[in-house]
Amino acid sequence: MGRIPRDYLINRLVTLVLTVLIAATIIWIIPRLSPVDPAEIALGRMAAGAGSVANSEEILAQLRANMGIDQPLIVQYLKYISGALVFDFGLSTAAFPTPVSTLILNALPWTMGLMILSLLITFFIGNLLGALMVWERSPKLVKVAIPAAMVFTSIPPILSGLLLMWIFAAKLQWFPLTGAYSIFVEPGWTWDFVRSVLHHGFLPALSIVVVTFGFWALGMRGLMITVQGEDYVKLAEAKGLRPRYILYRYMIRNAILPQITAFALKIGLLIAGQVLVERIFAYNGMGKLLYDAILNQDFPVIQGVSYVIILITALSVFLVDLLYPFIDPRIRHEAQT
Amino acid sequence: MLDDVTTDKPVLTLKDLSIEFPTPAGVVQAVKALSLDIHKGRRVGFIGESGSGKTTTALAVMQMLAEPGRVSGGTIDLGGTNILALSEEEMRSARLSRVAYIPQGAMNSLNPVMRVEPQMWDGIIAHEGHLERGELKRRSDAALQSVGLPLHTAGLYPHELSGGMKQRVCIAMGIILNPELIIADEPTSALDVVTQRQVMQTLKAIQTQIGSGLMLIGHDMGLMAQTVDELAVLKDGALVEHGTVQQILEAPAHPYTKDLISSVPLVGGESFLNPDARADAPKRASSEPLLRFENVRKDYGSVTALHPMSFTLQGDTPQIISIVGQSGSGKSTMGSIMLGFNPPSQGRVLFEGRDVAGMNAAQSLDFRKNVQAVFQDPYACFNPFYRVNHALKFPYKQFGLATSEAATQRAMEAACEAVGLDPDLVLPRYPHQLSGGQRQRLIVARALMLSPKLLIADEPVSMVDASLRASILSNIYDLKDKYGISILYITHDLATAYHVSDFVMVLFKGHVVEAGPPKEVIGAPRHPYTKLLIDSIPWPDLDRSWGDGRTDWDPTKLEAEAARAEAIYRGTVPGFDLIEEAPHG
Repeated sequence: MGRIPRDYLINRLVTLVLTVLIAATIIWIIPRLSPVDPAEIALGRMAAGAGSVANSEEILAQLRANMGIDQPLIVQYLKYISGALVFDFGLSTAAFPTPVSTLILNALPWTMGLMILSLLITFFIGNLLGALMVWERSPKLVKVAIPAAMVFTSIPPILSGLLLMWIFAAKLQWFPLTGAYSIFVEPGWTWDFVRSVLHHGFLPALSIVVVTFGFWALGMRGLMITVQGEDYVKLAEAKGLRPRYILYRYMIRNAILPQITAFALKIGLLIAGQVLVERIFAYNGMGKLLYDAILNQDFPVIQGVSYVIILITALSVFLVDLLYPFIDPRIRHEAQT
Repeated sequence: MLDDVTTDKPVLTLKDLSIEFPTPAGVVQAVKALSLDIHKGRRVGFIGESGSGKTTTALAVMQMLAEPGRVSGGTIDLGGTNILALSEEEMRSARLSRVAYIPQGAMNSLNPVMRVEPQMWDGIIAHEGHLERGELKRRSDAALQSVGLPLHTAGLYPHELSGGMKQRVCIAMGIILNPELIIADEPTSALDVVTQRQVMQTLKAIQTQIGSGLMLIGHDMGLMAQTVDELAVLKDGALVEHGTVQQILEAPAHPYTKDLISSVPLVGGESFLNPDARADAPKRASSEPLLRFENVRKDYGSVTALHPMSFTLQGDTPQIISIVGQSGSGKSTMGSIMLGFNPPSQGRVLFEGRDVAGMNAAQSLDFRKNVQAVFQDPYACFNPFYRVNHALKFPYKQFGLATSEAATQRAMEAACEAVGLDPDLVLPRYPHQLSGGQRQRLIVARALMLSPKLLIADEPVSMVDASLRASILSNIYDLKDKYGISILYITHDLATAYHVSDFVMVLFKGHVVEAGPPKEVIGAPRHPYTKLLIDSIPWPDLDRSWGDGRTDWDPTKLEAEAARAEAIYRGTVPGFDLIEEAPHG
């Protein structure tokens, strides 16, 4: 395969940096539009713990200084942006004085593991099902899957999570109810630990797959119908190619292209969608971290988590953009002109 | 009926073939009791309008009829095999190896994500199993060579090929297993005349070489006359006439066949325009030139689509100026620059003295009202959600021409009648309920309602049936004659340009190579490129063989020769001044 054209690479890189910068700015502005003062919340939490607080004005000032919110907005903004570049988002206000980056670093692998696993499974199942819905030779049963896929897509993930939990964890007891791994195993690269992680991750992943595969299946179905009408598919049939070969090399191969872009975009949405799933399964990932931070008005954590989500999404779009010329030869051509 | 039937066994025998499409509104008989033989080595043309059943017949032979179509009677015999009795798998293995199909839309017939070579190989593999790579390569290279493509084509992707190259790749694929029968469904309808001639000659040569039968589907009588041995004329699913091409051209028996032959506009032939409309067009009072190109040039990246060009079209004498050339000559670029859709890279376009690029909102509205367009694809020019009367009413009101509901209605009815449509019939309908020809007339009617001063018509008839072209063009011609509208007619069809226009500009690679009145430029071309274009026209006349009948005809060489020749200017018409390009070198 050919090289990626330099102009194309530069263009995409600039887009990546601008996207992250603009999004980071927006997530910095939004909490500041809220009338809530995080220092007062922290004070309130102290007051609730200790019963009452003496010289509250001094403590408030001290807290504001610690949080850096006593400085002019522009200084705060520049500090935030320069910190974000090296993943320094300051200290959590709820879990003071833990650095936000430590919290994120602890949660990220769990979410990434769960997310990548469920996204790959749902992408594969959904697209294959969508393709088979259109293919003339599919078993009749597949065509019935259209309404089923629509029904599942409209279920909120929290409901599917609760339902699966009730059936497989509470009633059948095949899978554990909550947590990311058993409290009886030591975290580490041991077989017991890995098995425990997979065992615990199964239900949360399944609850995501159940509600998302329909999205891919219905999207793929539409794309396949368009491709099915293309002249090259008709000619492939006229060439006497085997039906299965036409399905894979002529139809799916072309129909899947827009789905791959959608895949990259979905990564960010999925973390957001995972928030409640992680919450009900008490799974220690980014979603749960974000959920807790919102409850506690923990601005630095909210900003940090949002920033990481944006960064991951933008990076995956960037990667797909770079990969695209290799899966669709027409793109490379356009990049050169 | 046929006096020189070969003694060979036919490769295809259709006997009382009937095909029907059950629809909710009733059963449509697409093909009615069609009987016909195609013999080994013979070329048989199927000619007729769209909907006449010619493609349906071909698809039935391939057993690829679209749902819910089915063969309701008769037999299809392919070299001794009853196709209708084959299982799905048996039919699959007969495709390509015994009957090959060359599709109509070459533009989109190749898998865009596969290189050419694997797309040729998969056809062999599907019939002969996994051969050795070297053997596959040998056979695909031989096939590419036989259609005159360079061997490096094998490693290219479809989007890297021109339309003519793609169509030749499709031919190479089709003949790779030496089929008994080749079905070519309008294989050149998307190509310009020069490429068309090249591709048809390739197809003829290779079909002669492998000795298969050829079923050529088309609607161009000229192309048929230059290509086939026998002609089958279809109308509404029935075979109305069948005979050698000589019999049919010299003594057509059926009135429909006569119509088909006479509807072909010919260079130097009789005019198809309304003869009583030859009076001088009404003059308009005008102080400023209507349209002026000042050194207009257009680049796309490093490619110059249009070299600096200057001309002035006066407003007082309406004229029809034709711009002719092959695809890629820059003629459509000129059209979009005139319409202000595409800013020139250099130079200015002035409409009534105002720069099209620098108009304010009011001037721009006035410009849009006065400059109307008719495009190639009548199917894409209407919003499918609106009825025709809304589509006509909307611009009329938008430009502030409507005084009352009744006046608008009258204007719509008058415009429909001017283009030969019955307003009661077309106005209340949705676009999809109308034929391509009706839609294209409505586009003309919509333009006419705004009483523009200039109409830009970019290939207005290339997508409608041959029999309708002449009448739509005479509608457009009437716009000048009756309403004094100047027209820029952009086309690759020299015969219609010959009849319709007052002045012709021949464009080649963004340069004007020959310009002047059509009787001179097209009737007696002098520039090598114009000659190449004229030579490429297939004549519906057996005595006038394609070009000069040479077999060593090589357009690449001729084009190189044309690129070196100086432009030739052959006189002027009042109201149009083309500034001559300085001789190059």
